[in-house]
Amino acid sequence: MYLPPFRYFAPQTLDEAIALLREHGDEAKLLAGGQSLLPLMMLGLARPGVLIDVNGIPGLDRIEAGGDDVRVGALVRHCAVETDPRLRARCPALADAAPLIGNIRVRHRGTVGGSLAHADPAAEVPLVATALGATIEVRGPDGARDIPAHEFFRGYLETALGPAEVVTALRLPAHGARMGHGLAELVRRSGDFAMVSACAVLGLDGAGRCTHAAVAMGGVGPSALRMRAAERLLVGQPPGDRALDEAADAVRDEVAPESDVHASAEYRRAMARVMARRALRAAAARAGGASPDAGPGAVRS
Amino acid sequence: MSVSPAASREYPERAALRFVLNGRPVDVWAAPQETLLAVLRDTLGATEVKYGCGEGVCGTCTVLLDGAPINACLTLGVHAQGRTVTTVRGLASPAGATGAAADGMHPLQRAFVAHEAAQCGFCTPGMLLTAYAFLEKHPHPTRAEIRAALGGNLCRCTGYARIVDAVEACVRARPGREDVLRDP
Amino acid sequence: MIPEPASGGVSPAAYRVIGKALPRFDVADKVRGTTQYAADWQLPGMLVGRVLRSIYPCARIRRLDVARARALPGVAAVLTAGDLPRNGVEEDPTGAGLLRFTTPVLADGVVRYQGEPVAIVAAATDAAARAALAAIEVEYEPLPGVHDAEAAARRGAERVHDGRDNVFVHWKLRRGDVETGFRGAAAVVERTYRTQRVDHAYLEPEAGVAWVEADGVVTVRASSQVVEHFRALAEILGLPHNRVRVIAPFLGGGFGGKEDMTAEPYVAALAWATGRPVRMVWDRAESLLARPKRHAFVMRYKTGAARDGSLVAQEISLLADAGPYPLLSPRVLFAALVTGAGPYCVPHVRIDARAVFTNNVPASAMRGFGAMQVTFAYEAQMDLLAAALGMSPAAIRERNFLRKGDRLPTGEAASTYVALPELLRRAQDALGEPSRPSGPGARVGRGIACNMQPYGRTVWFQDRASAWLGFEADGSLVIRAGVPDLGGGQAASLAQIAAEVLGVSVERIRVHVGDSALTPLTGGTFATRQLYMSGNAALCCARELRAGIAPVAASLLEAAEADLEFADDHAGVAGAPDRCVPLARVVAECARRGVPVSRLSTFQGERSAPPDLETGQGRTFPDYTYGCHAAEVEVDVETGATRLLKYVACHDVGRAINPQSVAGQIQGGAAMGIGQALGEEIALEAGVNLTTLFANYLMPVAPDLPDIQAIAVESGEGRGPFGARGIGEPPTGPPLAAIASAIADATGARPLELPITPERVFRALAERAGTNEGR
Repeated sequence: MYLPPFRYFAPQTLDEAIALLREHGDEAKLLAGGQSLLPLMMLGLARPGVLIDVNGIPGLDRIEAGGDDVRVGALVRHCAVETDPRLRARCPALADAAPLIGNIRVRHRGTVGGSLAHADPAAEVPLVATALGATIEVRGPDGARDIPAHEFFRGYLETALGPAEVVTALRLPAHGARMGHGLAELVRRSGDFAMVSACAVLGLDGAGRCTHAAVAMGGVGPSALRMRAAERLLVGQPPGDRALDEAADAVRDEVAPESDVHASAEYRRAMARVMARRALRAAAARAGGASPDAGPGAVRS
Repeated sequence: MSVSPAASREYPERAALRFVLNGRPVDVWAAPQETLLAVLRDTLGATEVKYGCGEGVCGTCTVLLDGAPINACLTLGVHAQGRTVTTVRGLASPAGATGAAADGMHPLQRAFVAHEAAQCGFCTPGMLLTAYAFLEKHPHPTRAEIRAALGGNLCRCTGYARIVDAVEACVRARPGREDVLRDP
Repeated sequence: MIPEPASGGVSPAAYRVIGKALPRFDVADKVRGTTQYAADWQLPGMLVGRVLRSIYPCARIRRLDVARARALPGVAAVLTAGDLPRNGVEEDPTGAGLLRFTTPVLADGVVRYQGEPVAIVAAATDAAARAALAAIEVEYEPLPGVHDAEAAARRGAERVHDGRDNVFVHWKLRRGDVETGFRGAAAVVERTYRTQRVDHAYLEPEAGVAWVEADGVVTVRASSQVVEHFRALAEILGLPHNRVRVIAPFLGGGFGGKEDMTAEPYVAALAWATGRPVRMVWDRAESLLARPKRHAFVMRYKTGAARDGSLVAQEISLLADAGPYPLLSPRVLFAALVTGAGPYCVPHVRIDARAVFTNNVPASAMRGFGAMQVTFAYEAQMDLLAAALGMSPAAIRERNFLRKGDRLPTGEAASTYVALPELLRRAQDALGEPSRPSGPGARVGRGIACNMQPYGRTVWFQDRASAWLGFEADGSLVIRAGVPDLGGGQAASLAQIAAEVLGVSVERIRVHVGDSALTPLTGGTFATRQLYMSGNAALCCARELRAGIAPVAASLLEAAEADLEFADDHAGVAGAPDRCVPLARVVAECARRGVPVSRLSTFQGERSAPPDLETGQGRTFPDYTYGCHAAEVEVDVETGATRLLKYVACHDVGRAINPQSVAGQIQGGAAMGIGQALGEEIALEAGVNLTTLFANYLMPVAPDLPDIQAIAVESGEGRGPFGARGIGEPPTGPPLAAIASAIADATGARPLELPITPERVFRALAERAGTNEGR
């Protein structure tokens, strides 16, 4: 219940936060919701000399719904993602993923920006951001820039953020007509990080063939990853059982999981196929017109 | 390099912290390194808020921050500045209003006693606050929804059934039928 | 079937208080948040205590230098092994004269498990205490160590302790001749079963505060199941036994994990060394890393049955990984020995139960205490034999159930009613209609499991418990008993017992528990002994007290003593509601006449010598609690994930003092077993603990459990007060077997190893694709 010592700053603007990051370099960590960083500090696994608390910076906690995208501020808490009706209408995948994050307390404090910057390979926000081809808006000493999700996650707990850069928002493309998403997670226990997770997005043309296919996998590599081979197999095909099975097989061959105390690499690989197929089936059903209420938002095993 | 404007944002070693605890304003000196859990237990003597894991997993340190359940172990004390904090002792009269029930209990607490939903009692404060916040938002949940809502609070004694029973009884007793719980 | 009350007994319907689901006084305090647990205690000038723990599972300490740590600001004391008057107490952990061992309080020259305490500090703040830990210089010479229990038990294995065999306890049970038995078998099944290390995972981490009273008494207020540890603490500090006092406040859970000392010796030593109050609260990670766990067992079973299903012989070898110190392992293994053949009649039995030293985290007491691991094995054997003989799992069990008067493998008779046929029927009935699978890849299966679990200590420990009851002038009652209340309602049940006999309403009873200086000693809360022992002590005491004041009440009421009735805070005449006087009046009259209104009584349990050490024949446990559980699961064949759909836990509790508390024990115990069956494991890799977080120690959460249906059958034939049996531990064992059987029923693949993870089920299904064996 006690944290190791650190210097604490509470900047009131982004520029101040960036200046502090520049000044303190590697020694500094940004504190948003604190639901990943503070446990690491509590356990002695992280010992930043400086904490830069961004919670007091105004303007970062808004959800803005545009015509063809949704902009989720970095300080938006997971529980707001879960309940915001505009976000749910435009980006149901993220809205469905939010309740899978940790527990109710974590969701009340944890933030979208924090989850992106922490880049846990099994976390839900990076997974959905990757599948949706979202854009991460960041700001640094040289101004603002956009980073596509597939370039943002670089490795285990590693991102493309520069040394003094701050995540400011997550920009998600709105779901189009005849698009559908599917989420599937394999957990050992309700509320835990997934052993394997999958998020699929399919878009269909008038003839019922896939014009768009995106599959992202979590927990089976150093970060959330797009499954390009599987996606290529799907585009141009109607999302029938055979096409989805082949895509799922491709996912199994494309992932590079590791073993840990909860599951072996071999089992994770096998489950990547199962979760990918479940996510794809849900996505295909939704894209094909099945009501989003037809089944649970996310399949949890 | 000259002192950046941001440097002035460094907190002093200890700063005055004011928030509303269980309906009453409190003023304490707190270091920014202190978790809300440490401020509550060590400085304010609110020992009903428990340390259980320090990871945000067990839920024994649950308090309500402006009505929302949070991990007091993973929230800095300074984050309570100007806000309201409710512990289980504030449940009987969360707004600090006078006229709490004579036994000092909220109907949920009464239901926990009637159903023996606590054994060792260590998870109980967090469990009660989680259930309370949930019922505030979902007044008519199903049994499965209650189970799901309590999913982030560990209990090692009961197997949870009694806790769900107690919350469910409270739901059925609402509204205006709190008397049901007085005499189980 | 269920026997009538013994002659002279009272029919349950006649009880006014016993058998009622009265609200527990301690629960009201707990829901208000006013209960002061060990870590909630605060004293002026209190220091923070912390432990430096070994980072290696096995290493020689080349150098240990605390000078720099002692010099740090705010540091009041840094203690190592040499600073303690005695670094441990020599004990016989077998109680049968088989072993002498001193477990070090602080590592002395060598560390034998990861997390072993090496030094302790007391400082003004937590930060200062941590800084002191960081400033202690330790130079380790890491050694390979011994980490595999089976390898450690082999001849010529590397030794954990110089000059001692790794196998430090070997209990034997020999009855009949198994070779003869197996010759008469129509079916023989032979399997090896493995259970894992699990943690108690009480929500309250280990904690204690110690201070030195003005008269020099070192007082420790700690989360402890045993206030009698004051004696060991006195030995460690070189003090007379009456100069140390242990107070156990209400515990935030114990489950056996606070039966051995936890923070007590460390806070006591630091308070003794500094003269200041010291508080120590262990981090969850410390608790998961280094506290003794439930033993991992390797169990080889060979069981034979005749064509009609009658068991003919059972040959069993049990091996438990004890870690580097004996702690309570010998007793755990003895319980496993005695119950290893299950609640069945077996004419020929041979059991060897051994515990072996390793450099893994120590194992010791945990709810179920050896008698629960074996349930996983003996119940699987029953199912396998049933399948081999074409019988149902229920039929083969019914064929072999012990009955009252039958001989246990120890040669002693089952001395109370054995309700297993009723328990089996009720558990199966309660499961109801089978559920339909939720989808094409889902399979539903069912399993049952029966068990027997002793309550009370083995008779050669000559167990006893005392209680003091006294009236106050206003007619209210005070109970004093050294019982630590772990959360099971131990204190409240004493009030209910006294209320029944003395007619005081429970609201007018104050129970003081858990203080070695001020409450009569009852022995610790473990071995499912507390209701049996202290409950009987309170019952004796209440009856004797009533007998003492009855003549006074009789004369006040001008009635015969035999016609007296004590109820509703009055003494009255049976059948004449208007003839009564308040108890306060009786108490006042007693005072006038010089009749005592308080009393101390001691209940002495059965006493006997240890059984024959070569054959295990003799008297062992006072009695057993029997149970039958039934489970229904759904297995996702694509992932191997198991969802528990329904669960029923049925036990003969003898008499339910408070049915709500009894059901709570059954539900909670079953949930703990379910966690062990499906998810929990303390995983080690060469002695290094990989599961020191609640995030990866997978105890069940609410959405993962169905409503556990508890059924309490009351035979009235227990040895506790009013015929009660102990119920704390018995429900933990059957889930291991019932769930494994349900999964075997659903998938055709029998789990032989715990926990039954999705991956293990997935692999078993994959293997089974090629063969139909394994059921």
